[in-house]
Amino acid sequence: MTPVPSLLLIEDDDAIRTALELSLTRQGHRVATAATGEDGLKLLREQRPDLIVLDVMLPGIDGFEVCRRIRRTDQLPIILLTARSDDIDVVVGLESGADDYVVKPVQGRVLDARIRAVLRRGEREASDSATFGSLVIDRAAMTVTKNGEDLQLTPTELRLLLELSRRPGQALSRQQLLRLVWEHDYLGDSRLVDACVQRLRAKVEDVPSSPTLIRTVRGVGYRLDSPQ
Amino acid sequence: MTEAQGGVRGWAATRKGHLSRLRFTSLRLRLVVVFGLVALTAAVSASGIAYWLNREAVLTRTQDAVLGDFKQAMQNRAGTLLPHPTQDELQRTAGQMANSSQRFSVLLVARDADGKTVYGSSGALDGFSLRDVPASLRAAVNKRQKVDSGNKYAYHLYWQRVTDHGTPYLVAGTKVIDGGVTGYMLKSLEPEAKDLNSLAWSLGIATGLALVGSALLAQAAASTVLKPVQRLGVAARRLGEGRLDTRLRVSGTDELADLSRTFNDAAEALEKRVDDMAARDEASRRFVADMSHELRTPLTAITAVTEILEEELEAESGSIDPMIEPAVRLVVSETRRLNDLVENLMEVTRFDAGTAKLVLDDVDVADQITACIDARAWLDAVDLDAERGIHARLDPRRLDVILANLIGNALKHGGSPVRVSVRASDAKDGEGAEVVIAVRDHGPGIPEDVLPHVFDRFYKASASRPRSDGSGLGLSIAMENAHIHGGTITAANSPEGGAVFTLRLPRDVSALTEGADREAEKGDA
Repeated sequence: MTPVPSLLLIEDDDAIRTALELSLTRQGHRVATAATGEDGLKLLREQRPDLIVLDVMLPGIDGFEVCRRIRRTDQLPIILLTARSDDIDVVVGLESGADDYVVKPVQGRVLDARIRAVLRRGEREASDSATFGSLVIDRAAMTVTKNGEDLQLTPTELRLLLELSRRPGQALSRQQLLRLVWEHDYLGDSRLVDACVQRLRAKVEDVPSSPTLIRTVRGVGYRLDSPQ
Repeated sequence: MTEAQGGVRGWAATRKGHLSRLRFTSLRLRLVVVFGLVALTAAVSASGIAYWLNREAVLTRTQDAVLGDFKQAMQNRAGTLLPHPTQDELQRTAGQMANSSQRFSVLLVARDADGKTVYGSSGALDGFSLRDVPASLRAAVNKRQKVDSGNKYAYHLYWQRVTDHGTPYLVAGTKVIDGGVTGYMLKSLEPEAKDLNSLAWSLGIATGLALVGSALLAQAAASTVLKPVQRLGVAARRLGEGRLDTRLRVSGTDELADLSRTFNDAAEALEKRVDDMAARDEASRRFVADMSHELRTPLTAITAVTEILEEELEAESGSIDPMIEPAVRLVVSETRRLNDLVENLMEVTRFDAGTAKLVLDDVDVADQITACIDARAWLDAVDLDAERGIHARLDPRRLDVILANLIGNALKHGGSPVRVSVRASDAKDGEGAEVVIAVRDHGPGIPEDVLPHVFDRFYKASASRPRSDGSGLGLSIAMENAHIHGGTITAANSPEGGAVFTLRLPRDVSALTEGADREAEKGDA
C-alpha cells in the first residue's frame, strides 16, 4: 500500500473538520476534506483516497446515502462518524456498507487506530489458497472467486473471510472476530460482525437467506464450512 | 414459593373483597331493615284492626241471629209448657226448639209436679248438660231481677262464649217468666272460627307480601343510590391508579349527579395539571438532550485539538512555553472531564427517552471483568474472585459501564484492595438463572443516611466533600444499565467493614429484546 495513506474526510462542521484534519495530519495521514456529501463524492472520483471518514449528519445527501453510493462502485474502506445517541444510526450505517464507526466526540488517537486497523486488513500475509465448494480464496492475490468469477469484497469482508477460512469448521465468537478483523479491544460492537457477515453472505452464498458456507453457531458465533 | 405467595395474595384479595362488600351492604342492609320495619308496622296494625272488626261483626251477627231464634223458640215452645212439665214433654219441646235453621242444641230444665228436677235435651250435641253451662251464667239466668220502669222483665237472656277442647261455643240461657222452665242453648261457633282463621291467614299472607315488597323496594332504592356511589368509588380508584382520563357519565339533576359532575371537574383539573407537569418535565428533558447534543459538536473539535496540545506536552520539553504549560495541562484535563460529563449526560437522556437499546452477545463474565479491569490498569488494585466458565447473554458494553462505575467508585471512595466476586445462581422456580457480581471495598463504608441516595443523579454525600473526578452520574448510569438488562444493583455495608455493591443480572436477557436474536438464528436453515 501507499506509505502515506491518503484519507478523505467528509464533515460539515467547520470546527470539527479543521480539528480532525489537523489531528490526522499530525498522525501522518494525507487528508483531503469535503463539507458535503456531493463534494465528497466528486473528490473521491478525482483523488482515489485509500479510506473515507464520513460524518453521518450531512446537509443534502446524508452519510448513509453517500455510503450506499460509494458501495455501488467501490469497495474502499469507510469509517463512519456517528452520534451514538441514536443506536439506530449505527445499524443503518453498517447496513449501508460502512466498515467501522467511531462515536463523537471522537478522540484523534482512537480514530487513527481505527484507520490503521482498517487499512491493515488489505495487507496480504500468506501465499496459499483455500477452496470451499465453488468459492476459491486466493490469499496470495487477495482475491476471492466464485465459480471462477471475481467477487468484489471490501477489505473488511475479505479479512473476515480470511480469518474464518483459516479455521475451517471451527466456530469463532463475535468478540474473537472483532479482535481478529477489526482489532477492537474487548468492547467491540458485535453488530459490526453481524452486519459484515450479512454483506459477505450476500456476496458469497448461493442463497443468502439460507447460507451453506458461513453458518451461524447459536450461542457462539460464526463458522465457515465446506458445503456437503 | 411464588405459587404459595400468589395463593396467599389471592386469598387476601378475596377476603378484602368480602369485607368491602360487607361494609358496602351495611347501608343497603339498613335501608332494607328500616323499610321492612315500616311495612311490618303498617301491615300488622292494618290487618290487626281489620281482623278485630271483622271478628266482632261476624260473631255479633251470628250471635244475634242465634239468640233471636232461641228467644223466639223459648217464647213459642217453652212458654206454652205447663209450669211443671214432665220429662217427656220437656224432651219433645227441646227437640222442637232445636229444630231451627240455626242448629243449636237446647237443654230445658224444670221441676215436675213432684218437685223433682227434670231435663229435656235436644240431643243434637252429645251430652249437652248443665255441666257445660258455666256456673256464673246459670246464676245470672236464675237470678230474679227487680221489675220497674227501666226493667220490664224479671228474667233476662244471658249468653257467654266458651271454648271446649279448642272449639268455640256460644252458650245462652233464660228462664220463662212465670213458667219455671229454664232453657239453655249451645251453639258451635266453629264455622265462624274457621272463617276468621282463614281471614287471619289471608291477612298474614298479605303482611308477608307487604314485607317482601318493601324489601324489594328498599333494595331498588338502595341500588339507585348506591350504584352511582359504587361507580364513583370505582372511578376514584381508577383515578388513583393513574388513569387520569377516567370520567363519570352524568345523568339527571339530583345530588348524586352533582357529585359526579364535581368528580369529573376534579379529574379534569388533575389531568390538566399532570399533563402540564409532564409537558414541562418532557420539555426540560428535551432541553438537556438537545443541549448535550449541541455541546458535542464543539467538543469534538476541541477534543481533537486538545490531543495535539497533549502530544506537545508529552514531547521533549521546550516545545511549549513553560509559562503557559500549566494552562495547557488544565485545558487538556478539563476537556477530558467535559467529555465524560457530556457522554454521561447523553447516556442519561437516552435512558430517560427510552431509546437505550441492548446489543446482546454471549460472553464469559470472568473474562469481561478481567478485560474491564485490565483496560483501566486496575489489575493491582482489584482482587478478582471469579471462575471462568460462567457464561451469560447480555450487552458487554453496558456490563463494562456498570463494572467500571462500580469498581471505579469503590477505588475512589473505599480505597484498594477492591474485591470483586462472581457467582452464578441457577434457575429456581419462578426466577431465572442470575449472575451475581459483588464489589466490596475496604473503606469506611457508606453512612446510613446516604445509602438510599447513592444511585441518585448528582448526589454528593456532603457539600464539603472534595470535588472528585466523577460526573455525579456514574452510579445512576450503572443502575439504569442494570435495569435495562432486567437486573438491579443494591448498595449495603459489609459487616466486616467497607461498602458492598451487588449487581444481579439475568443470565439470558434475550427475552427482553425480542428480535435481537432473530438475525443470528436466521442462518441455521
